[in-house]
Amino acid sequence: MADTSDLKRDVYIMFKDGINNVVDFQHVNPGKGSAFVRTRLKNVETGKVLEHTFKAGETIEYVDLDRANMQYLYKDTDSFYFMDNKSYEQYAIPVDLIGEKGGYIKEGQEVQVLMHDSRPLSIALPMKLTFKVVEAMPAVKGDTSSGRVLKEVTLDTGLKIKVPIFVDQGEMVVVNTESGEYVERASSK
Amino acid sequence: MPKPVENWKRLHTDAAFRERMKKRSQIIAGVRNFFADRDFLEVETPTVVSVPGTEPHLDPFITDVFDYEGRKHEAHLITSPEYAMKKLLAGGLPRIFEIARCYRNGEPWDGSHNPEFSMLEWYRADADYTDIMADIEQMVSEVAARITGSRTINYGGRRIDLSAPWPRMTVKEAMATYAGIDLDRAIDDEAWFRQEVENKGCPTGADDTFDDLFFRIFLRDVEPKLGVDKPVILCEYPRSMAALARMKEGDQRYAERFEAYCGGMELANAFSELNDGAEQRRRLDDDLLLREQLGKHTYSVDEQFLEAVGQMPKAGGIALGIDRLVMLLTDASTIRDVLFFPAGDLFE
Repeated sequence: MADTSDLKRDVYIMFKDGINNVVDFQHVNPGKGSAFVRTRLKNVETGKVLEHTFKAGETIEYVDLDRANMQYLYKDTDSFYFMDNKSYEQYAIPVDLIGEKGGYIKEGQEVQVLMHDSRPLSIALPMKLTFKVVEAMPAVKGDTSSGRVLKEVTLDTGLKIKVPIFVDQGEMVVVNTESGEYVERASSK
Repeated sequence: MPKPVENWKRLHTDAAFRERMKKRSQIIAGVRNFFADRDFLEVETPTVVSVPGTEPHLDPFITDVFDYEGRKHEAHLITSPEYAMKKLLAGGLPRIFEIARCYRNGEPWDGSHNPEFSMLEWYRADADYTDIMADIEQMVSEVAARITGSRTINYGGRRIDLSAPWPRMTVKEAMATYAGIDLDRAIDDEAWFRQEVENKGCPTGADDTFDDLFFRIFLRDVEPKLGVDKPVILCEYPRSMAALARMKEGDQRYAERFEAYCGGMELANAFSELNDGAEQRRRLDDDLLLREQLGKHTYSVDEQFLEAVGQMPKAGGIALGIDRLVMLLTDASTIRDVLFFPAGDLFE
């Protein structure tokens, strides 16, 4: 039986009779009591985020999703729109369900859409993706708090991320789509 | 996830990490000075023992000690130096402290946990938990001033004022304020409590104990609100949550225990120490029974510890996570950033 040990970010679970996306989770061990897992769950129907404390080892029903290859068409203020490559049917996914993943896709790109009962819930992204830096300010004395000197650049999807100051406009960079962090320069490999 | 660079290799390239590890050393020196200035004796107690603590939910490391004739003695690594330190209290040392390596197995290697960690414990004879409250707020604010030059620190993008005194709040007040739950009634009427927890939108499990119900709500609605701009001393826990503490005078439903919270982290746990040997034996037996029910490794009770509890003066004591204190004073978001060799670098 699946339980809290299978919890990961971005899996889907049944909670209070609804499908919920696990936005975040954290193990808590009060020492003087049982272990718990604190979670933030987003209901895929309502978009509402709530917090729940699971007891470690508690049974959880995980929701299996199907994957369909679709083309990303465009977005408006409410939704991202996709077209199924086989059926040519169009699907919309609300902006707040896609969340930060929406920053990593370009119009016309083929993506895997996660479906439940013919209903699109989100998209699946590879852990690392390569993007072009379309706008980069010349290096100034940057944010040194993390020990690395970073600056903000704009990627070809419009997303802004922090990169080391040696990265120039026009270069290709690899980005971790889970953390949103710069990994390396793609052109150097 | 790609494996992060091991910390010892980070020393070359990551100046912030190197600086933080220097501060770690200064913080520990600052702690030692604070207690030396107040006539506390620094003691060293064993980390390999026959019998570890009985906390039902902790998993001690299990090993064997062989004597020179090859006889095997089951042994454990300590989860806290508490038993040994109480024996020293009973032995007549009135003010003692130790920075001990402690070990807890089966905990997540993230956030604020590492299986091997450093715990600062101190004990005062002829004192209770209110004296320990005064110690901790002075110690933390003085060490902060010495290391960072200020009693106000930056942690996780917020300013936290560490200067003494820290506000006190009872667990009962916190549950009423942040969760809207009457804890007196919850303790007296568990069925009502379960319904209240459900009413707050929190599904419960059929086998949830009182403590489980409490933590489901506490971790969701209360703990995240504690110690945001200033550390808070959360005191007087339900008696089921304090196996080594004295009960509160005038209300036996609560124990004289407190925890200090700062920046969303539990920094320390303290008691007015129980010094009734017979009562202590009952509670340890309960703990061991619960361990058995939970399917955990069990062992006998430490008879010398029970003897010591019966001889101990009235005393207050506390356990404070040194690694967490270093995280706080160096603005580190994970324990990995304050250890040269975090578990993740050693075992994967």
